[in-house]
Amino acid sequence: MPQLDNDPIDPEVAATLDAIDATLAGEPVDARYADIAEIALLLASDRPEVPPAFAHSLDQKVERRFAALGASEKRPKRNRSWSGFWGVAGALGAGVAAIVAIALVAGGGGGASSASSTSASESVTSAASSAGSAGSASPALRSPQHSSTAPAGSVASSAASSAAPGAPGQPLQPPTTGRKVVQGAQLNLSAAPTRIDNVAQEIYNVIGQANGIVQNSSVTQGGPAGYANFQLSVPSGSLGQTMSQLSSLTYAQVISRTDSTQDITDQYGAATRALADARALRTSLLKQLAAATTTEQIDSLKTQINDAEASISSDQATLNRLNHQVNYSEVYVTVQARAVPAPASHGGGGFTVGKAAHDAGRVLTVAAGVALIALAAITPVALVIAVLWWVGSATARRRREQALDSV
Amino acid sequence: MDHALVRSEGVSEILTASASKGRDASWERFESLYRSSRDDIYAYVFTLLRDSAAAEDVTALAFERAYRRRRTFDRRRGEERAWLFGIARNAALDELRRRRRVATLVTDPEDVVEVSDSDGAEVALRRTAVQNALAKLPAREREIVALKFHAGMSNAELARVLGVSESNAGTLLYRTMEKLRKACNATA
Repeated sequence: MPQLDNDPIDPEVAATLDAIDATLAGEPVDARYADIAEIALLLASDRPEVPPAFAHSLDQKVERRFAALGASEKRPKRNRSWSGFWGVAGALGAGVAAIVAIALVAGGGGGASSASSTSASESVTSAASSAGSAGSASPALRSPQHSSTAPAGSVASSAASSAAPGAPGQPLQPPTTGRKVVQGAQLNLSAAPTRIDNVAQEIYNVIGQANGIVQNSSVTQGGPAGYANFQLSVPSGSLGQTMSQLSSLTYAQVISRTDSTQDITDQYGAATRALADARALRTSLLKQLAAATTTEQIDSLKTQINDAEASISSDQATLNRLNHQVNYSEVYVTVQARAVPAPASHGGGGFTVGKAAHDAGRVLTVAAGVALIALAAITPVALVIAVLWWVGSATARRRREQALDSV
Repeated sequence: MDHALVRSEGVSEILTASASKGRDASWERFESLYRSSRDDIYAYVFTLLRDSAAAEDVTALAFERAYRRRRTFDRRRGEERAWLFGIARNAALDELRRRRRVATLVTDPEDVVEVSDSDGAEVALRRTAVQNALAKLPAREREIVALKFHAGMSNAELARVLGVSESNAGTLLYRTMEKLRKACNATA
């Protein structure tokens, strides 16, 4: 309760108050306070008495502990509406928090990637993990080194990743219907530190089997911080199958997988038209050169033909690059060492204490994540409710005090 | 507190039998509080509202609220009696606000000026003068009189119920008594 002041009381006031208390206690008071004492006695003796009928009725209510009758029916409506408001506010806050938490968890709270998309871009997302099956090995590898060049004007399509260990990987194939679509994927794997080499070999085998290209790779083995990454180029026709195989390596588990697509049909068409135009121009210029008679004409036409041929070369290179992007998909694979025991190799589907502990750890991690997200969602809602409660209480208190002044 | 206990001891003994079944500490405390404060709460609310029907409703409502909130009572924040009077005060002020919203005044205040046959003529006159003076006081000052003389509160309890410091409560009481004294002397 607020204390308005704590100033020491005036001696005369204190003496009067003492006289009043003494009077009520039946003690004698100084003659100076006779008037006050008489008024105090008269006020105390005029105390309103409880009507017997009401006293009996109230006793009955208390006896029944106010069970389902009476007093609550006469409760002022305002109080009901306020309690209803706080009930609704609380329920709303809890509901919002739950929805946010569920949405974040269901939407892949493990980390959404940024998105920048063009009008023609498409985005697909999948979560995948290894299922323990081994892909068949093929040692044949093509062009172990190849420098990758990003296409001019290429914009990464929107992509999202989700961490869902344990879910089977499904290859994603966007609808092409004659469109020129560039596909790409990124796969983050984890493996036991001692298995990084095995995983790298498995990746090479899968890429070889798919007639893909390992553009560059880096494998660090030894110690708990083993790491490997690969930049791969895979024939687009077998991208889905390759991703399935990469998601199902024997010694690795999928942390996250991101698939992306970009429609470059317009860009491809523009390059094709530019090439055709340049070729037509060169043909025209060659005809003009054949008909030329003066040295100046011949020199001028030769210069123009050279320009047209340069343009043809450039457009042809652009077209080839786009074709390569369409025909070969870029796949980035990273392998991180993890501190948990490697899964049983072939045919290890039985129950083990290690697996159970691993699963329990996952469950606890997910539960902690959900709790943290819910807490993050609830905190601002709770703050808003607290402020509303404080404002509501202050307002109600002020209005009540005003009610005293208006009577 | 003893003063209040004596005043309210007329509460029906019927409570004893019913309370014996399923007793718990909070219920026993509430029951004790009810026994000691029922009459005081009614007297306070009646003096504030000057309407016996409304006073009954508000008194019942206050005890019901106190019963429902009995487990949330925190002794560190004050005595139970002050807590109960705080609940009754809020209910009474809500009633005053409700009246103000519904209509300016549906009925005239009840005539609280009663003359006891047992009083002598002089005392009866003084009593009438005090009653009239009290009736003319604003609600805020009537409330102080009700808490002090009808509910039997100490100045410290009075301060806790009103939410002011003890010295402030004493000053308010002093001013109210001075008003009453002057009004009575003017009548005389």
